[in-house]
Order: sequence, then structure tokens, then C-alpha cells
Amino acid sequence: MDLFLQALINGILLGGFYALMGMGQNIIFGVMKIVNFCHGEMLMVGMYLTFLLYTFVGIDPYLALPLVALMMFGLGALIQHTLITPSLKTKSFTNLLFLTVGLGLLLSNGALVLFGSDYKSIRTSYSQTTLQLGLVSIALPKLISFCVLIVVTIVLFIFLKNTTTGKQIRAVSQNPVGAEVCGINVKRIYLLTYGLGIALAGMAGCLLTQFYSIFPTAGAGFGFRALIVVVVGGLGSIPGAFFAGILLGLLEQMSALFISPSYSDMIVFITFIVILVARQLIIMRRR
Amino acid sequence: MDIKKAVGVYHRNLLIAIGALLAVFIAIPMIVKTPYIINIFVLVFYISTMSMAWNILGGMTGQNSLGLAAYMGIGAYTVCLVVTKLNWNPWAVSILAMLVTAFIAGVIFFPCFILQGPYFTLVSIAFAESMRQFIINSEFFGRASGVGLPFGPDSFLQFRFTSKVPYYYAGLIMMIAVYAIMKKIDNTKIGYALKTIREDEDAAAAIGINPTKYKVIAVVISAMVAGFVGFFYASYIRYIDPDLMVQAKSTEFVLPAVVGGAAFVEGPLVGGLIMIPLSEFLRANYARVLPGINMIMYAIVLLVVIRFRPSGILGWYMESKFKKFIDEKILKKPSLDVLEQYELMNYGSRKEA
Repeated sequence: MDLFLQALINGILLGGFYALMGMGQNIIFGVMKIVNFCHGEMLMVGMYLTFLLYTFVGIDPYLALPLVALMMFGLGALIQHTLITPSLKTKSFTNLLFLTVGLGLLLSNGALVLFGSDYKSIRTSYSQTTLQLGLVSIALPKLISFCVLIVVTIVLFIFLKNTTTGKQIRAVSQNPVGAEVCGINVKRIYLLTYGLGIALAGMAGCLLTQFYSIFPTAGAGFGFRALIVVVVGGLGSIPGAFFAGILLGLLEQMSALFISPSYSDMIVFITFIVILVARQLIIMRRR
Repeated sequence: MDIKKAVGVYHRNLLIAIGALLAVFIAIPMIVKTPYIINIFVLVFYISTMSMAWNILGGMTGQNSLGLAAYMGIGAYTVCLVVTKLNWNPWAVSILAMLVTAFIAGVIFFPCFILQGPYFTLVSIAFAESMRQFIINSEFFGRASGVGLPFGPDSFLQFRFTSKVPYYYAGLIMMIAVYAIMKKIDNTKIGYALKTIREDEDAAAAIGINPTKYKVIAVVISAMVAGFVGFFYASYIRYIDPDLMVQAKSTEFVLPAVVGGAAFVEGPLVGGLIMIPLSEFLRANYARVLPGINMIMYAIVLLVVIRFRPSGILGWYMESKFKKFIDEKILKKPSLDVLEQYELMNYGSRKEA
């Protein structure tokens, strides 16, 4: 029973990261209809940024969070401005896809050149602290990360729902031409959404540094799971991404507990295929 | 007949150019004896072939698959397992490998054909990754440690050589054969149907092209080619493991096509011939100091090509003055309306006969 509870808690806490990644991917995919294949690499960049800030400047990883988010926003906006916006004109999905794939290659191999392939980690005074809650124990950093996630989700939800910019983002995601006719600066919104998406990935990376090793391909698994979260949670839905992320984390932990840890990846992928196909079937039935 | 003569000269010059290119490739192993250089060319051949296999699906049909390495892995595994466990002849098994990959692509993957656009890409990645995970977890497939082919004396029947030169020629023949098949498909009804689906799937369905049917054809052809390349790879390296099927490999197979020009049948060849030697050169000379430098170069070339020449190197060449120069001065290509008249003339004579 306590094993089950522990897996439940771990699943929820792990799912939080998938949710955070998924929200970033969701905004990008929802607004520009492009799959950001370098999302996992952006998480990795966020991790290395936190690592650099911690070792060279001495900033605590949690204090570095807004700083990392800001820097990642800048990076995202730069990429959007120099690479993606000009390529959007060609309307070639293949090109946009391989643009992000190429960016991913560039970032992960760039990290390999700059930092080498060895595993790095950040150890703060509280990173080994665990809280005992009845039968289960929770690592303090994981709990803090989860709280940050909830705050981010709520802020993001309110931002998209109530502010003018948020409304503009939603308008562009529904119909970019119509939005442009209404006087919305679509290019600016693209810049904003890509930056925001990348900033969320960077934040996930920053939070992850406390209990995850930092290495150039650290983000690969997270990147693909973010896509699963987008598809399962629904386009443009922040609460959807939140719950889909947690569900995914739970699925992974539960299949590791009940079936076998080595099969948990395979189960995630097969579930994803089934969901994709079932979703499309439902859409086709509705037409 | 003025027109006939002009076209005849053009065709002759074109044949000479192609023949000269072929002669260069045939002569390379006779002049260059370094196994390292030969190895690079073998890489060029099989990666370009894989890229062509992707191109029929991604470039021609517009379905961006990112899981082609899995089919190559399945082909390679079929060959290794059947040869080691049942002692069949590798050449016979290569046919079996193609059938197995065709079955997996056409039957097991079938429900995924209803997905479009980005969702198809996602499902291809998930499908490939779940196949890899299956192999890693299966005792029969040798888990993560992989399987090898038996060693022994050189023999053509076993497709086993110590020298790299026979693999060079086999790879060259494979690449040319696949290119010929792709060129043929490009000019037949299937090719036009595939290109129509790429431009607009709903419109294609409206004019009587069944998108699912043609997508299945494209995926099966691409998987069969990948399965055969798997056979070639397994025979060349003689040892395979599940790392062959990682997604990074699939990406590696796509890049030559995108850089060369995904809309052209020749795109993967051009991209492969430029990118792979460059990447291998960087890997050999600088990888010790800067690991991953060849992939960085790959990524930068890819980004620059997509940003500034979205139709690839070949698309660029098609519009350039250089092509005009070659066409007019070296190949003596007649103007387009002359070619058109020639076609009409031929059509007329064929009609009479």
C-alpha cells in the first residue's frame, strides 16, 4: 500500500514537469501550428543556465528561476525573430519541422562542445531534505517545484483568459488572418508566444536541476512527453495540459510499479499511439 | 529535322555527362585505396538511399515521418536473426526482411494513416520508439546487447567480405537502383497522385485519389527500401544493436533530403554527397577536441539552407545562372518550346504506329 502511495506521489510530482513542458509546447503548437522539436533541448539549456548561475555567480537555483525564465524568453524571441518568422512565409510544414529539429541538434551538440558529456549536478543545503508525510516521503525540492508549477499554471491561465495580450494570443491561435485584420500585430504575438513557451521549458529545466543530472541530452525524454501532453490535453488548453501532464506521470509510475520498470517507456508510447488514433477517429465521426 | 537533331544532341550530351559521373564513381575504389575514404562513400550510399526512402514519403507525399530508422533496424534484425538462427542465405533473407518491414508498415502501422500533418510525425516517432523499446525488452532480439552475423571467409553468397570495396560497389548499385525506382515512380500515376496529396489532401480525395491507399503505397515502398538498407547495413557492419533505431538516426537520414531539396528525386543524392563527407571529415579531424562538431556543422547548414534557400540546394541550383550556363553551353539543351514540339511530334508518330 505504501509502495502504491509512494508511486502515486512520485507520479504526480514527475507529472508536474511534463505539465510545465507541455504548457510551453501547447502555447507554441496552438498559436503557430508548428511542433517545436527543440523543446527538450530548451529544458537542457535552462538546466545549464541554472548550473552556470549557481557555480559562477552563486545564485540559489530557486532565486535564479525568474532570471532563467527571462533569459530563455529572450532566446526564444531571438530564435523566433531570426529563424521561424521568416520561414513561416514559405508555409512548408516540412521546413518548419526541420528548422526546430536543426535547432535541437545545434543546442544539444553545442552543449556537448561547451560543457562536455559528463554529468553535472547542483547540490544545495536542502536538496537532500525529505519530508515524511505518514507512509510516504517527499523530497523537498520536488514539492517546491510542484508548488511553483501550480502557481505558474494559475498565472498563465489568468494571463490568457483576462489580459489583452492573452486575448490577442488566443485570437491569433484561432485565426491569424482574422486577427491581423482586427489590428493585432501577429508577428509580435508569435514572438511573445515562442518566447513564453521557451521560458516555460527553461523554468522546468531550472526546477529540475535539484534532483536530476545535467547533461547535453537530458531533455530528450521530456521533449517528447511534452508533445504527448499537448495532444492528450487538447490544443490551447492550459488546465488540459496540467492534468494531462500529471496523468502521464502517473501512468509512467504505475506501469513501472505494476508491470515492469523497463516497459514503462513502451507503455507510454503505445498509449500515446492509441490516444492519437482514437482522437482522430472521434473527430472524423463528428464530421 | 531540325528539332529532332537539336534534341538528339541534347540527349547525347546528357548521356555523356551521366556516364562520366558513373565512371568517376566506378573508378574511385581503383584509384583511392584508403579504407577510410571507401568507408565514407559506403556511408554516403546507404544514407542517401535511406534519404530517398524518406523522400518518397516526406518530400513527395508530404507526410513527415521521423521513424525510418526503426524500419531499417527491423530489416537488419530480421537478417541477423534468421541468418544466425535458421542458417538461411542472407540474399534470400533480404527479401524476407523487405516483406517483414512492408508488413509492419502496411498492416500494423495502418490505423495511423488517418492522422495528418504534425500528428503523423508524432505517431511515426512514437511507433518507432515503441518498436525499439520492444526490442530492448525482448530476450529473443538479444535485448540491448544486440546480435551479430557469423564471421568467416569471404564469400559472395554470404555477402561477407573483409575488404570494403565489394560493399562500395554493392552500395553504389543499391543507390542507383533505388534512384531509378524513385525516378520511375516520380513520373507515373502513383507519383502524381502522391504529389497531389502533398499539395492538398482534401482536393486529392475530391478528384478521386484515395489518399489512404496512396499513403499506404508510399509508406510500404519507403519501409521496404529501409528494410533492404537494413540488410546492407547488417552485412556491412556485421553487428547490430537497438541504438540503430534511435530517433537521432531517423533525423540523420532525413537531413540530406531536406538540405539537397526534398521536392526533387535527386535531392537526397546531392545532399548526401555534400553533407556526409563533410561531416565525416569534421568528425575525424576535430571530434577529439570538440565532440559533436560534425553535428553542429550539420545543424548550421540545415538552418542556413532552410532560412535562406527553403527549396534546398537543388532548388537553388534550378533557379541559378549556373544551371542556365550548363544547360545552354555544355548540354546544348534546346529551348522549352522546341522540347514541347518534339514531344508532340513523338506523340503523333506513336499515334500513327
